Amino acid sequence: MYILGISCYYHDASAALLKDGVVVAAAEEERFTRKKHDTSFPLNAITYCLKSQRITMGQVDAVGFYEKPFLKFERLLGQHVQMFPKSLKTFVSAMPSWIHEKLHIRKSIKKLGYEGEVYFIEHHLAHAAASFLVSPFKKAAILTADGVGEWSTTTWGIGNEKEIQLLGEIRFPHSLGLLYSTITAYLGFTVNNAEYKVMGLASYGDMDKKTNSYYEKLKQVVDIKEDGSYTLDLKYFKYHYADRMPSQAMEKLLDGPTRKKETEVAQRHKDIAAALQLILEEAMTAMLKDLSKKTHYQNVVLGGGVALNSVYNGKILRNTPFKRVWIHPNPSDGGSSIGVALYIYHTILGKKREKQHQLSHAYLGPAFSTEEIQQFLDARGIRYSKFKNQQELIASTAKMIFDNKVVGWFQGKMEWGPRALGSRSILANPCNPQAKELLNEKVKHREHFRPFAPVVCADDALKYFDCDKPLPEITDFMLMVYPIKKEWHKKIPSVTHVDGSGRLQTISRKQNHLYYEVIKAFGKLSKIPILINTSFNIRGEPIVCTPADAYTCMMGTGIDCLVMGNFLIKRSDNEQDQWNSEHDAKD
Amino acid sequence: MGIHKKKKGNVALFFVGTQEGIKSFGESIQTLVNTILLTIVYLGGVGTAWLMCKISGRTFFTGKPQQEAKTYWKPLDLKKKPIEEYRRQF
Repeated sequence: MYILGISCYYHDASAALLKDGVVVAAAEEERFTRKKHDTSFPLNAITYCLKSQRITMGQVDAVGFYEKPFLKFERLLGQHVQMFPKSLKTFVSAMPSWIHEKLHIRKSIKKLGYEGEVYFIEHHLAHAAASFLVSPFKKAAILTADGVGEWSTTTWGIGNEKEIQLLGEIRFPHSLGLLYSTITAYLGFTVNNAEYKVMGLASYGDMDKKTNSYYEKLKQVVDIKEDGSYTLDLKYFKYHYADRMPSQAMEKLLDGPTRKKETEVAQRHKDIAAALQLILEEAMTAMLKDLSKKTHYQNVVLGGGVALNSVYNGKILRNTPFKRVWIHPNPSDGGSSIGVALYIYHTILGKKREKQHQLSHAYLGPAFSTEEIQQFLDARGIRYSKFKNQQELIASTAKMIFDNKVVGWFQGKMEWGPRALGSRSILANPCNPQAKELLNEKVKHREHFRPFAPVVCADDALKYFDCDKPLPEITDFMLMVYPIKKEWHKKIPSVTHVDGSGRLQTISRKQNHLYYEVIKAFGKLSKIPILINTSFNIRGEPIVCTPADAYTCMMGTGIDCLVMGNFLIKRSDNEQDQWNSEHDAKD
Repeated sequence: MGIHKKKKGNVALFFVGTQEGIKSFGESIQTLVNTILLTIVYLGGVGTAWLMCKISGRTFFTGKPQQEAKTYWKPLDLKKKPIEEYRRQF
């Protein structure tokens, strides 16, 4: 039985395919269209999913959409009615896309040649299902938090075997996700894209509630009750009627206008980011403590974009009574395509959850065979060499990284979700104190304050990181930030953030044998089996998908070589300066 | 031969350019018409609904913290429903 899940028209459109309840393919549309956070109908992602199983739409048994479009439209109309006449501009700009496409999702699906049923589930139910139904838990408390779905912005509930029940909600316009996005906009970054930069920036600010004056100021914006439920004072916001997020009252409260993009990030901005992170953590901790009290469950799953806040995720088990936590590798809207497909399979159709339905890795995207890669290289006249065997590939890659080369790593199936997890990664030496600057300036062209993530084999993690014990499974998805043990700070400076933390990815041999062995081989050379792992892209671009994307990215940046399948392609061997990636890097 | 090719290129370029110009003009007209029509709908439809809501005292959301409230959670009972419910877009 094949079930196709679709999410689109807000941000991060995606498609996912289940075969007998097992996720066999999933990808975001942006990887194919090369438009970051592409919202459009995910035709390319659907085509990939079907092709991966060699089936047609006619062979799909059910299709699901990740929200109820008419309920969302009702919320939108309600917003415009309430905010009349201030919402005229957004009404005029938003309505055409609703009239022409967003309300015709069924028609768009039928156009693909599909004759069967299309199911629609509520947005937060899709988030809850995406996390709970592929988690290792039979029973768990559930918390979802994002910008907004139909009306809900935050929900809590319980998952029991194949059933999910959401029992409480906080409704639009009160939203932790939108609060975070508003401050992201205020700090001069792009909404629905750069929230993670604010999270990284927070570590440079004053994380002490008593001394950070912006903490008290931001507390005027949001009222948090003892149970973690919250409401926003809307006089500080404009997103419910305008196309910008912070109001003038917010600018006045935070002592200045919205920061202009690419201008200097002052200490004030860092303190505001820190205050925001403190408030988010306060609300989430209170909600989770209350959830534990209400449900008496030991396991919790999180869904929605707020669950990408890896700094907070790393504190959940220390700050709440929960014993285990699980988060989908793509907890934001993109991941909801898996959520709706799983909900159809298990909850609507009543199929039992089995061990094979758990999501143990995120390698669900397109892969390219040796023949396909060689065909591409030959067709383009690219100079390359071929590794004799895997041992040579592993040893050479580790040696190049040890020699402070920046290596593009393109292997196997592309990752699902926003993180590069060892299929489309850039790898570098974390012991090299210059690696961070080099990567930021010559490769990624991104802000100096942004940290790079370490990847470590799961069996070595506890030696270097102050992790929860036992190590939560979701460290495999780079969803947790943990303190790096003090004795290693100076030895791995390029992955040690200013506050001594690292957003680690753990990897086991079973998940990704080649990647695991390269890390181990590097460890033999450097005595520290940790690598820098950053996504294979430049700022503002989606992560590379095809060999052509990878080659183009390498040739326009400071990546020294590309290990693509069994092939080694050196930048120095090929025509230089194909394009100027620095010029193209954007937020 | 080269000159002939160039001439053909220029002619083709002229038609492509004209086509693009017409398309862009059409899109501008479409945007203008959309804006006028939607402004009328907004002022007439949304404005009337706003007036009715004002008279009846209906609001879609509140914008002020309520200090006296114990919680901001609203009850929700989202659980498994009959299959027909999932076929609906609302």
